[in-house]
Amino acid sequence: MSLPKVSEFVRPTDLAAALHELESVNARIVAGGIDVVLFPGDTTKLVDISGIPLSGINSDAEGIVIGATTTMTALIESPLIADYLGGVVTTMLHHLASPLQRNLATIGGTLISAHPWSDVIPLFLVLGARVSYYDGTEHTVPIAQFYAESMFRQRIILTAVRLPAFPPGTAAAFIKFSRTAFDIAVLNCAALVQITAGRCTAARIAVGGAPQRGYLLPHAGEVLTKSGALTAEIIASAARTARDEADISDDMRASAAYRRNLVEVGVQRALGQIKDKLEAGV
Amino acid sequence: MNIELTVNGVRREFTIAPGETLLELLRRTGYKGVKKGCEAGDCGACAVLLDGRAVNSCLVLAAKVDGHTVITVEGLADDGTLAPLQEAFLDTGAVQCGYCTPGMLIAATDLLNRNPRPSEEEIKEGLSGNLCRCTGYVKQVEAVKLALTRMNGGNDA
Amino acid sequence: MPNHGQPPVKERTRSVEGFTVVRHNLRKVDGIPLVTGKPKFVADIDLPNTLYVKILRSPYAHARIVDINTARAEALPGVALVLTYKNTPQRRFTTAGQGYPEPSPYDTRMFDTKVRFVGDRVAAVAAETREIAEAALKVIEVKYEEIPAALSIDAALAPDAPVIHDEDDATGIYDPKHNIVADVDIDVGNVTQGFTKSDVTVETTCELQYAQHTPIEPHVVLSYLDEDDRLVLRTSTQVPFHVRRIVAYALDYPVRNIRVIKPRIGGGFGTKQEILLEDIAAIVTLRTRRPALIELTRPEEFISARTRHPMRIRVKLGAKSDGTLRAMEMEAISNTGAYGSHGLTVLSNVGSKTLPLYNKAEDVHFYGKAVYTNLPVAGAYRGYGATQGYFALETAMDALAEKLGIDPVELRRKNHIRTGETSPIFVKLGEGREGVEQVIRSCALDKCIDIGMERIDWNARHGKRIRDGSWVHGLGMSVHMQGSGIARIDMGAATIKMNEDGSFNLLIGATDLGTGSDTILGQIAAEALGVPLEKIIVYSSDTDMTPFDVGAYASSTTYVSGMAVKRAADEVKAQIIKVAAQIMGTAPDGLVLADEHVSAPSGKSTSLSEVCHYALYQADQFQIGATASFVPDESPPPFMASFAEVAVDTDTGFVKVVNYVAAVDCGTPINPKLAQGQVEGALANGIGYALTEEMLLSPHGGVRNPNLFDYKILGALDIPPIEVILVDSYEPTGPLGAKSVGEIGINAPIPTIANAIYDAVGVRLRHTPFTPERVLAAIRDKDRL
Repeated sequence: MSLPKVSEFVRPTDLAAALHELESVNARIVAGGIDVVLFPGDTTKLVDISGIPLSGINSDAEGIVIGATTTMTALIESPLIADYLGGVVTTMLHHLASPLQRNLATIGGTLISAHPWSDVIPLFLVLGARVSYYDGTEHTVPIAQFYAESMFRQRIILTAVRLPAFPPGTAAAFIKFSRTAFDIAVLNCAALVQITAGRCTAARIAVGGAPQRGYLLPHAGEVLTKSGALTAEIIASAARTARDEADISDDMRASAAYRRNLVEVGVQRALGQIKDKLEAGV
Repeated sequence: MNIELTVNGVRREFTIAPGETLLELLRRTGYKGVKKGCEAGDCGACAVLLDGRAVNSCLVLAAKVDGHTVITVEGLADDGTLAPLQEAFLDTGAVQCGYCTPGMLIAATDLLNRNPRPSEEEIKEGLSGNLCRCTGYVKQVEAVKLALTRMNGGNDA
Repeated sequence: MPNHGQPPVKERTRSVEGFTVVRHNLRKVDGIPLVTGKPKFVADIDLPNTLYVKILRSPYAHARIVDINTARAEALPGVALVLTYKNTPQRRFTTAGQGYPEPSPYDTRMFDTKVRFVGDRVAAVAAETREIAEAALKVIEVKYEEIPAALSIDAALAPDAPVIHDEDDATGIYDPKHNIVADVDIDVGNVTQGFTKSDVTVETTCELQYAQHTPIEPHVVLSYLDEDDRLVLRTSTQVPFHVRRIVAYALDYPVRNIRVIKPRIGGGFGTKQEILLEDIAAIVTLRTRRPALIELTRPEEFISARTRHPMRIRVKLGAKSDGTLRAMEMEAISNTGAYGSHGLTVLSNVGSKTLPLYNKAEDVHFYGKAVYTNLPVAGAYRGYGATQGYFALETAMDALAEKLGIDPVELRRKNHIRTGETSPIFVKLGEGREGVEQVIRSCALDKCIDIGMERIDWNARHGKRIRDGSWVHGLGMSVHMQGSGIARIDMGAATIKMNEDGSFNLLIGATDLGTGSDTILGQIAAEALGVPLEKIIVYSSDTDMTPFDVGAYASSTTYVSGMAVKRAADEVKAQIIKVAAQIMGTAPDGLVLADEHVSAPSGKSTSLSEVCHYALYQADQFQIGATASFVPDESPPPFMASFAEVAVDTDTGFVKVVNYVAAVDCGTPINPKLAQGQVEGALANGIGYALTEEMLLSPHGGVRNPNLFDYKILGALDIPPIEVILVDSYEPTGPLGAKSVGEIGINAPIPTIANAIYDAVGVRLRHTPFTPERVLAAIRDKDRL
């Protein structure tokens, strides 16, 4: 359906110009454009940022930098992403929407839309991704902070997301429960564990679509770091902690009680996969 | 506003509304093979190739694709010669009502362009954004396999 | 070189068991335009000055419209016409596209002074653009007076329930004061005594959800006046002739001034056996003299089009200890929603298409009600009651087998109907009235069961509960029958005329909604006339140009329309032989029509082209051609044995169908690939119905998930390996031995998967769909016991 309220469409070629265009009332950025079309609200002016060179996937000593207008397909097809942490981001992306939508959707768009069911957010939370945005100057903040603070500021342009490099002995996993393959999550779940000298030195666990937007479960992570081991018993204990810790509610896809069960199963499976990966030396 | 678009190899100028979708534009300018099924990116009936990649044209703003290249189902046959996928869809019985067919063909074209030897699972994933209510997808997956065999010079007899 | 029409000639003329065209997997006659995106569908043509029509829908489940003020809408620039109850005909009719007189009540007005569900029609606006029409809807002022609503079967049947159809001009409602649209009660023998005489009984109650057809093309109609000022309705329908009749009646406008054309349509599955938009389009065009387009959006489709009848069904079975069924009782309570479309007939078919399958039972009782509620309107949906009935019957059979200690397959074998047998149900219960006596003349169900068992590896994998982590595997099966058309009600006709190049126009009222019926009817004609399929020019579903046909429903087309084609072709063939005899100066006896020639035993032959030239131009001139009709005396059932392996995740309740095998007897498959495609599609739809599809209703009766984002139909990644095996039989009353196969597949997945889940984890699911949450709850309940 066309957007009858939209009366202006501009294509700035640099960030400063784009920011200037966003000063109009009801102006909105278009990247892939999916959510603009689906949820136009009162938008009257569209600011297309695809003319600004923000697309690309590069690596440096600190990790991988993904430009905001990089499409999901570009990520799926990227060897850099495939090699990153055993391909956990690629795995997640295969579960995300459909190939048709992945050809349009951008990483920046999905982080800004921040749908409660987002598969990207819980995984990026456990990865400790950092988000770069422009509001006249460049800022880079941890993704959790971005959602806590920056995201709700007027007039920012997300420019990139950075995935940190990890030392050997780190593994991550992503689990999604959905009714069909092309569906949003009834619940999704991501985990990352770092083993240093045989001990679990860092662990992060997150859930999303619960049904609210993904968030970290620090207590569940602590179960692993405190014990230091990644045994079946500790995993089960972390999963139970996650189950109790998670803030869960009902929606039409599932009841809170059912979702709470999925948290436990999802965390258990994610950590199980991580254990297998670490033991296999992946 | 005005945009230029190369559709099925022909460069054309269009006058559009700033909020118009590519689906609306294509249908109102005669590309009726592009189908409307949900206008929300859920069914894939409106898929077209945008710069070679299959997208839901209902989710694309026409203004955004100024200067780009679009191929619709009408552009898949080469001067009256059907593409191998079109032939295979006919031979396997993959077309029932035919309403999802244009989008399926477009999605399959994108898939085969970038992955010349997809596994069955990859074929299914490639078609997973295109809903079909008639076939159960069995013969569409078979059609993609048959087209592949023929494109790779194999004998399907 | 690619061959755009048909496979090469040598392949085509190769005989398959005596057939040269039939039983061949020929390409669909309409295939090329569909793969090249030609403008074949309703909304694919642009007419100048077309008005765009949008419909205002009720936000209330039950309310009276005290007043409507359309002044502001009418004053908007670009608005051509606003329709409400104040300026439209007030005749009651039924939206159900059925034979005449329709077995559905006349309980619907074009626009009424009362709304009966969230989404009911209130007004319509015709405007220059969609945007203007939508803007105009927003400024129509409607004064509603809300009435208590009945939002469930139980609420509608309660003693103090609001009366949903309290109007005095509705007709055909069984008991309007108690919200009962239809009531059925038939007895064979004495079921109470039957149960007393049984060694073992089981009883089960099943509930089925609201679910929708979701054709990828939503309902759409384009109306216009032709150059002679006749009204043309180009519409996405399964029933063009019923559309013409019902629109003529609703508008009180002459049938002779209406032409209905069905172009290609994007799927139907029953929801397009309904007149949902055509009456409004017609009135807009007649009043404005301009073309009018109405296309439902996907949310409108969910809210206002039709659904499968949700039901509660109780089945009780009694058997002797050797497994012979003694007594069967089935009670069905059907929710027809706010209008009674197909209420009676769907209810009847719950019993009539299921109970005859087990004809060994001496005592049978089937009874039930179809009930109005203030909820979305149910209608025809592939399977048509049988789907609902089989859930209860085939899961009860599974439970009975367990109680008897007999393999579920063996229990079916012991009791299912066979060739040469009959069932008293055939006579007692038809479709909305008494049925027709019939003997089964073709049934390969035994062979279907054998093949299915082997392909799914039943003996090795059933009852084994093979475990893979938290996933447990199980096997389930069920058997089914449907029908081929409605005996002594359905009618199809075909006209064939010959052209100089030896080609034939085949004009049929039959309605191809994607099923391939144009192709298979062409194949039947080609076979009889000794020509390849490309010599048959098929044109269908145009009320001006083609003879009558009831349309595409009740699995009628192959059998009923196919017989009409066969008869017409046989008549034409006789004419050809006569003319050929005249040309060759021989007696007609012994002449053979094949390979586009008529040949005499002497070796003399004449081509069809010569025959036609002779008949049109040379001597005793006439048009070689014929029109023939067919009304079936029987409705020969196709049969099916369905097997599935599922895996159940005991941690989450997710059910994954691992493998599906269906062996189907549809007599002679006219085009095996298309027949297989019918079954594959029906199974896929049925698997979705079993596992994910459910319209969720708000406490106020509205649909909460009216889109394909929230209402999940299965995609390519969700479909298990499906193997459909066509098992031969020969139906002597059908065209070249064929029976119909459009519906039967959809009946199978629910009971087959339910039985497989039981085999895996020992819980019987009684409420569809089998969502992970429901399955997990059932597993946990069982573990608590």
